[in-house]
Amino acid sequence: MRIAAQSAVANGATLKSNGLEWLWQHLRDVPRPRLLDCGPARRATVEVLLRRGSTLHVADLISPVERGDPELWDRARKAPVFRTEVLLAQIPPIPAASLSAIFCWQLLDLLPRDALAAVVLHLYLYLEPNGVLFCLLRDPHLATGVEPHWWLESLATMGRDDEGTKPFPHPALTNREMEGLIPTGSVKTFLTRSGWREFLAIK
Amino acid sequence: MTDNAQRTTPISTGQQTVLGRSVVLKGELSGNEDLLIEGQFEGTINVKDHTLTVGPQGQVKSEIHARQVVIHGSVDGKVSARDKIEIRKTGNVVGDLVSAGVAIEDGAYFKGSIEILREGKQEAPRAAAAAAARD
Repeated sequence: MRIAAQSAVANGATLKSNGLEWLWQHLRDVPRPRLLDCGPARRATVEVLLRRGSTLHVADLISPVERGDPELWDRARKAPVFRTEVLLAQIPPIPAASLSAIFCWQLLDLLPRDALAAVVLHLYLYLEPNGVLFCLLRDPHLATGVEPHWWLESLATMGRDDEGTKPFPHPALTNREMEGLIPTGSVKTFLTRSGWREFLAIK
Repeated sequence: MTDNAQRTTPISTGQQTVLGRSVVLKGELSGNEDLLIEGQFEGTINVKDHTLTVGPQGQVKSEIHARQVVIHGSVDGKVSARDKIEIRKTGNVVGDLVSAGVAIEDGAYFKGSIEILREGKQEAPRAAAAAAARD
């Protein structure tokens, strides 16, 4: 694993992203990347990615998890069980090994630990060889901020809603835990000053 | 316009046909004027040289072909528009969009894929890719 220290600089609600810079450099020879956005559809993100020549799939996995939608939980048992299959059913039909990149945003930070492996593996199957899973992971000191969503202001700049007050439901993921979740390939982590790490898994 | 399911007649207001809120239609709609759907429609819509607007109360389960599509309500199905597809903030769309331009307002719900129709060859995306790599 390679760590590029202090790679992004917070500027209000906008972040210059070295992780995204790396991603677009990685995809420089792909004229029409096929992408999946796992966040809610945002005007700016759609415009930026379409201008880049992308074919874009959108499936908002983040909002239902953030809201704690009841259908995502099986409460018939003693302890509630997260229904991973219900979440993944939100993804529209996408051929396996067809995507150049997946924008996961902060999804993994919102999921219970026992759901992570299945979700990461499922998303990974959509990636073509050399495809990239782009995730944002909060630093452990960041205790609240479930609500804000991220989007693309430009190819290498992210926008974000105001700070949230809702506490994160699970402990922060470590880089080592993330590396354990990635089935194959390599990973890159970019630190930022915003309390979030950019984690890129390359298939 | 044709309606092979019911005998309901849409209202034509000169340049635009309106399917009112109480109208429920199934079948195939085609025409040479703009179309506003405020009711429910299921089937195929073909207004290739005109604008289809799905009003805030409109519910459409359909394959759509139009010059431009503006969605304030609910659409489930494939939407093809030669010029542009706009999903407004009250819009709820599940399906695939194919158009020369797509705009989705913040707050709208969209699940599906977006493919941009391009005239000409590969130069534009290649140039964009090169520019992105240089940035």
